[in-house]
Amino acid sequence: MPPHTHTIRVFEELLESPRNRLVEQAAEAGRIPIGYSCSYVPEALLMADRLFPVRLHAHGIAGTELADNYLSSLVCSYTRSLLEFALDDRYDHVKGWVFVPSCAHMQRLVDNLHYLRKPAFSHVLDVPRKVSRATLDWLEEELRMLSDRLSSHFGVDMTDASLTQAIGEWNRFTQAVRAIGDLRKRPDPPLTGAQYHAMVMACLASPKDLVLPYVEKLRKELQVRDGARGTRARLMVVGGHLHDPGFISIIESQGALVVADRFCTGSLPGLTPVRVDGDPIRALAVHSFEKTLCPRMMEDFDRRLGFIRDTVREYRVDGVVLETIKFCDLWGVDSMTLVNALRAEGIPVLKLEREYRTSGEGQLRTRVQAFIESMGA
Amino acid sequence: MVERLRTRLRSLAANLAETGRKLWQDSLAEYLLHEKDPGAALIYLKYWGLNYSRIVLFGVEAPFRLGPAGVVRMLVHNPWIFTLLKVNRLMRRYGRGRTGPYLESVCLALNSVVRGNVDMLRQMFYRPERMVISEDLVPIDIVHAMGLDAYLIEGIGIMLPILDSEACLQYIDEAENEGMNPDACSLPKTTVGMVIRDHLPKGVAIVSSNLPCDAGAASYSFIERAYGLPTYRLDVPYNFHSERAENLFTEDVKGMIAWLEEHTPGRMDWDRFREICVNRNRILELELELWDMLRVRPAPLASEAVWLSHLWNVNVTPDCRESVSHFQKIVSLARKNLEDGLPATQNERYRTLVWNPPFLHFTHIFNWAERTYGLTLLNDSMTYHHHRPIDTSTPDTMLRGWGRVVMQGPMVRHTRGPAENYLDDIFRMVKQFDLDMVWVANHVGCKGGQAMNGILREKCREKGIPLLILDYDLSDPRIVSHDNMKRQVEHFMDNVMKAPRLDG
Repeated sequence: MPPHTHTIRVFEELLESPRNRLVEQAAEAGRIPIGYSCSYVPEALLMADRLFPVRLHAHGIAGTELADNYLSSLVCSYTRSLLEFALDDRYDHVKGWVFVPSCAHMQRLVDNLHYLRKPAFSHVLDVPRKVSRATLDWLEEELRMLSDRLSSHFGVDMTDASLTQAIGEWNRFTQAVRAIGDLRKRPDPPLTGAQYHAMVMACLASPKDLVLPYVEKLRKELQVRDGARGTRARLMVVGGHLHDPGFISIIESQGALVVADRFCTGSLPGLTPVRVDGDPIRALAVHSFEKTLCPRMMEDFDRRLGFIRDTVREYRVDGVVLETIKFCDLWGVDSMTLVNALRAEGIPVLKLEREYRTSGEGQLRTRVQAFIESMGA
Repeated sequence: MVERLRTRLRSLAANLAETGRKLWQDSLAEYLLHEKDPGAALIYLKYWGLNYSRIVLFGVEAPFRLGPAGVVRMLVHNPWIFTLLKVNRLMRRYGRGRTGPYLESVCLALNSVVRGNVDMLRQMFYRPERMVISEDLVPIDIVHAMGLDAYLIEGIGIMLPILDSEACLQYIDEAENEGMNPDACSLPKTTVGMVIRDHLPKGVAIVSSNLPCDAGAASYSFIERAYGLPTYRLDVPYNFHSERAENLFTEDVKGMIAWLEEHTPGRMDWDRFREICVNRNRILELELELWDMLRVRPAPLASEAVWLSHLWNVNVTPDCRESVSHFQKIVSLARKNLEDGLPATQNERYRTLVWNPPFLHFTHIFNWAERTYGLTLLNDSMTYHHHRPIDTSTPDTMLRGWGRVVMQGPMVRHTRGPAENYLDDIFRMVKQFDLDMVWVANHVGCKGGQAMNGILREKCREKGIPLLILDYDLSDPRIVSHDNMKRQVEHFMDNVMKAPRLDG
């Protein structure tokens, strides 16, 4: 396996706390961190003027005792972890929260957060569950309302010019990340799935302009680096929220290499450039619908399946690991159909139910090992 | 099939004594033997006969419509139909200890369910080329106004455990075995299990929505693929309390009509739709009149007369004239009791609501609570559907009003928008019906509800309202048994309410 480099360690360090040193650096310079938890939030909108988006994570969460009292232990552990961290003042640096009613759990997180510790700025972006001209218009209006609120609350410039500039910055960032991601199509990728994911997650949790130099540096390092050889299988990880690169490390510890990531905090298709052709807000609305493949979207199953199938071919994937967080109904129900559909296409699938925090390492190793063996690798 | 039958027979033989005891307990003979009030016995006999006569009528009619072979095919492919024959056993469980107009109102509610079910069977099997599957929170008014037949696919999974608490288990197991997450709500699991077993008729199209929960909405990817049917999905916005949201949803409904005209032989008949809306408005008026009478302490009617009447007549058959006449009869029975000073529950001591759908596999828990503690169920979240009447002046106003009915429906507004949508209704009900406590039917598969318990507990404490969060599973008594559910009530009534038992 390709070894860690200093730059990879920087990314890992940036993930240790939601308040990482780049976030602090930006905040000290008078910039405003806006937290979000769903891929339907167009990050570029939150990059306008002094704003910068931070993907909310709860890396290192030890338990969710406080959150369980309110959300119950039958709600997904990502949601509970966010509430626990919020109650533990771990997001105090976040000046505004933007939510999407992505699922019942996230909706109730908003309710409980507002009840227990209402943020000074909180906004629910009502993203429809199907795509049509009418819902696109609706989402565009939603983004305008969010933009207006951000402008009036924080006094930031949300004009078309400012948004176009932010979109340009986002596009430069995604191109840099995708350039590294494309290296994983090679027969001998120069970095592991865990290393790649550490980079992506660190980028999502940090100001893009400040993290971009590290991404560029990594790209240069990878150009002269030897690729991975002798891997037993090339895998694609599919599912919802996956924040901890350690989960992928465990999968890779069995000799597999994760080469593609279709999950909420992965880069496929999440980190794609925004195509601007006129109104930047309209472009962001279109982008929001296109860049995310979540089972919350009622008519998107075939697109999701098609995307996975195409990625399997493009990245020469041997098998798919479908990871779902326990109690997630969207992925839990959808995976029944998805697993059957993928297997019907001859794609081996391993379904793993997990908690937000990486746990059950031994069991996970055994299941991955058995999966790799079942593929004859 | 043969192996399954053999297993079933072996299981029946093993449980012969227990089955016999239950059959006897729920039988007409046992009732007549123990009922001391001849008036009550007459009411009971009347509805016992009426229920079976509706079923027999369908049994006679079906061979003419489907042919004898068609009837056999229908029964083989849809074995759950046999569960419907257990309706009078349920009447026995509901009727225990009740007399006079209250007993009549409960029997009437059950009879309206039988009527609704027989009508549903006709729609399911007689004209498959015009039949549409509808999700349970998409009312079938529009489909009917288009001259199509329809059935609410989740409606079967709602009805079966009410009639027989173990009727859904085979389907739940089937869905879990197929890979559906075991922690999902048992209602979509039942529906998916029935689809896997091919125990439901297919029709020509599916109409679904993003309601009421993630598991329900997500299950349609499976159903759509399994049945290979074109599917239209309505999308209720999260923030639905605005004209903007109403506009979006109205357009969505228009899209559904156009889609149905494209994919089915149905054509929109606005006059028929107006009649349906008028029917709905009349039911709304009657229900409000009933609720007004329920504010009186002790209440003139309660329990199944209220929630079961609503569940079937408003959710399943809101377009039938019989549903209006059902509520007219219920209202007149309530008025009679009110005028005569007769309470529904003798010794009414406590009044409660139940939040979330009533305990499907143990709906007679309210009968037990009445007799044990004088505890009366006045209303529930599924019934408490308050909205403005539909303006029937133009097609547009009707669609907008109908859309509002959907968006503000139970389990729709409670799973959308801020927590206030959920909490305000509970506390409004407490005030409106002069309640002594709040019961939450804490369905283990309902994550949206589970995640509100913390806030609700603290809010109830602030207001001094005793709260019982009764753990159970909606359709699966293996998760929490009836005895365990009773014990939870007993502990609450003993420890929190300090309530003496009426049964000694």
